[in-house]
Amino acid sequence: MSLPHAAKSPPPPDRIQVIVATDCGSTTTKAILIECVDGHYRQTQRGEAPTTVEEPFADVTLGVTNSVTELQELSGRRLIADDGTVIRRTSPTDPDGCDVYISTSSAGGGLQMMVAGVVRQMTAESAKRAALGAGAIVMDTIASNDQRKPYEQIQRIRELRPDMVLLSGGTDGGDQKKVVELAELIAPAKPRPRFGGEYQLPVIFAGNKDAAPAVQRVFGQGFDLSVVPNLRPTLEQENLGPARDRIHDVFLEHVMAHAPGYDKLIAWADAPIMPTPGAVGDILQTIARKRGINAVGVDIGGATTDVFSVFDGAFNRTVSANLGMSYSISNVCAEATMPRILRWVHLPMDERELRNRVKNKMIRPTTIPQTLEALVFEQAVAREALRLSYEQHKAFATTLKGVQQQRTVGDAFSQAAAGATLVDNMKLDLLVASGGVLSHAPRMEQTALMLIDSFEPEGFTELAKDSIFMMPHLGVLASVHPDAAMEVFEKDCLIYLGTCVAPRGQGKAGKPCFAWELRGAVNAKGTMNVGDMQLVPLAHDAQCEMTVTPEKGFDMGAGPGKAVTRTVRGGTVGLILDARGRAIEVPGEEGARRATIQRWLDALSVYE
Amino acid sequence: MPLPSLLAQVAGAENPATFFTPGKGVLAASLFVVAALVIGSILWARSGGRVRIRRIAGLDAVDEAVGRATEMGRPMLFVPGIQDMDNIQTVAGITVLSRVARTAAEYDAEIEVPCTRSLVMTSAREAVHAAYLGAGRSDSYNPDRIYYVSDEQFAYVAYAGGLMVRRKPAACFYFGCFFAESLILAENGNSVGAIQIAGTAETSQLPFFVASCDYTLLGEEFFAASAYLSGEPDQLGTLLAQDIVKAIVWVLAVLLALAATVAALTHSESLSGLVDAVRAAMGGG
Repeated sequence: MSLPHAAKSPPPPDRIQVIVATDCGSTTTKAILIECVDGHYRQTQRGEAPTTVEEPFADVTLGVTNSVTELQELSGRRLIADDGTVIRRTSPTDPDGCDVYISTSSAGGGLQMMVAGVVRQMTAESAKRAALGAGAIVMDTIASNDQRKPYEQIQRIRELRPDMVLLSGGTDGGDQKKVVELAELIAPAKPRPRFGGEYQLPVIFAGNKDAAPAVQRVFGQGFDLSVVPNLRPTLEQENLGPARDRIHDVFLEHVMAHAPGYDKLIAWADAPIMPTPGAVGDILQTIARKRGINAVGVDIGGATTDVFSVFDGAFNRTVSANLGMSYSISNVCAEATMPRILRWVHLPMDERELRNRVKNKMIRPTTIPQTLEALVFEQAVAREALRLSYEQHKAFATTLKGVQQQRTVGDAFSQAAAGATLVDNMKLDLLVASGGVLSHAPRMEQTALMLIDSFEPEGFTELAKDSIFMMPHLGVLASVHPDAAMEVFEKDCLIYLGTCVAPRGQGKAGKPCFAWELRGAVNAKGTMNVGDMQLVPLAHDAQCEMTVTPEKGFDMGAGPGKAVTRTVRGGTVGLILDARGRAIEVPGEEGARRATIQRWLDALSVYE
Repeated sequence: MPLPSLLAQVAGAENPATFFTPGKGVLAASLFVVAALVIGSILWARSGGRVRIRRIAGLDAVDEAVGRATEMGRPMLFVPGIQDMDNIQTVAGITVLSRVARTAAEYDAEIEVPCTRSLVMTSAREAVHAAYLGAGRSDSYNPDRIYYVSDEQFAYVAYAGGLMVRRKPAACFYFGCFFAESLILAENGNSVGAIQIAGTAETSQLPFFVASCDYTLLGEEFFAASAYLSGEPDQLGTLLAQDIVKAIVWVLAVLLALAATVAALTHSESLSGLVDAVRAAMGGG
């Protein structure tokens, strides 16, 4: 007999056969069922229901129950007990219930934080990195050099209603004065938390350990202060782990516990509930670590665009708050400018009509394109939103600043500055897309070309999309059963679009760019001229050895003109050979521009 | 003696004094060309012409160095060389000091400037005071942190070295004229873990700075720092004119070298004559 019960610690991985995972979003609660079938973990069913965190329901578990009920109906396995809780299996042969129930949440705006540090480019930036990495939205960053007067900073702190504050500053044994001054700005400003009037605002102090007693004195009563190891014990070292862990704990203990129904949800779940973006970051890090690759993930939404990257083990996440495809579409048009958006459009379009279309999309965010022209325009906007988000990400994901450099006399004419970006498109192995405009594009070729045009991957880059946004579920699953998470990620979560092969460099249109040869599942060879694109069909499960020999002035990763051999993977689109050079140049003259875009679209059969 | 009589006497003398040396006409013309280029470039820059200066990592790193000192709660050390204000490198160093001091004022970081000359000390105090005023932090300005040490090269170096070991500055700046003390200062700074930025036109000292500092401004970069930091059209225009003149001189040098080579190989009298004429006009033998 199956009995519902609340478990806090998950069973050991070898006993986990049936997993129910939910992601409580702002509007929809999405549930998936993962089962061990013939020794392999597969995502078998999916259900969704409206999120019920707002009035009149004000109980997030109702939405969870509804979405899991859909799983129950589809699978035939009883998952919901009569009292609405998730049933656990009592034995491996029990036909009802699951072994593990896990959940993520971004309902009610997710986790919103304010961060502070002494120097904007140093400890404040580390604090921002810790908060973003934990899945938070950073509402503002206060620093002693942020060009604002103290009264302006206090005013701003008072205006914000963060879920928690992360305060950093000073190296261990370093500055105490300014970090205490920051505490003295925050404490009297008394920022009020979003949820609950009686709830004490959590403040995490991750600064100079010597300043902790003084900071504790400043915050005194009225705040829930916790002290964790310094984010920057020395300027040469960044230690984000303890602060991120504490953010997760505080998110559960305070923020979630005060949100409607979350106390029940926490009791139901077998693992700590994670902020949705934090879970996405975790699965991306897991996949990068297990496969030994560099990966970038993007989630483009209506209001914001999240970019995640893992390069050489260093994880970074950015949230571009004003770049999205519905609420923020006007901002994308303003920031990118209409000519830059329209450079991707091959059809004649009236700019005035497009502006009306943009405003309509903003006030009716759930509408989808009804005509080919509308689709082409929306995808052009998406290219620019993605490009701008990636640029912001590159500027944020950098090496540490304020670090002593080691030089030799040979560096006289090449004194590289600190703070160089970690993002290197040549080293990028996997690019994962999610979000409506990418996941639900009518043709996979459209998704692939949008990714290539906006991210401009170099060398060999696998393209994939998370069609049903399963990455959050798998992120939290990775903390319980990493192997199962990896297996489902590879087999069911990602739809591999193919591999993009593109050399770095620029040349004159029509001149030779590179020669290529495929051996294995497909045997073929050819040459590409500058400005050309070509699609080589290569099935989803097929792999080939590919040798690319670039011309002088073009680089595939081994140096200009040097041949590179790699194993390439096919996909629903295939192998995309891109000889447009980097950065991609579009002709300025209108007729030539439209002809060029048309040629690229035809090469990939994008709108056929 | 009345002026007309004096001029008549000079003109009638056996070796009359002359205002112009006829053989130096080309040099005079060059002077006018250079002056015209400088004025033209300044006017062009003032009228909104865009002068692009390539990024100088050492100057961009000033914020980083000051930030490091702020986070570590340690002072910064600025050494304006060991020469007096009559040395153009010292003047350029004081310009950089203004920028460093302004950033220090904004970050509320402590800056210390030991000087080898009293006049340099006075100028440095003026520059730092102005920077603190500009940043709206005049109350934080402390003139006692800018002081005279000694005119003697090694007495000064001994003091500066001791200061570094005792106070462990988080950032050291060396901008000015340096000689044998360059390596001693830079090695001391390196050993205490400071970010170091140096700038000098003394070519013999540059290798030492490059090897032991984080960033080094090499010769011309140091003099361009003023224009780079201020962005003023007058300074940018002057810099542009200097670069144009350098390019002209470089092209002429190459052309004349080629002409001299061809003349030597072909025994061309016309080319030899041209080369000799230019050599003579430029004051060569």
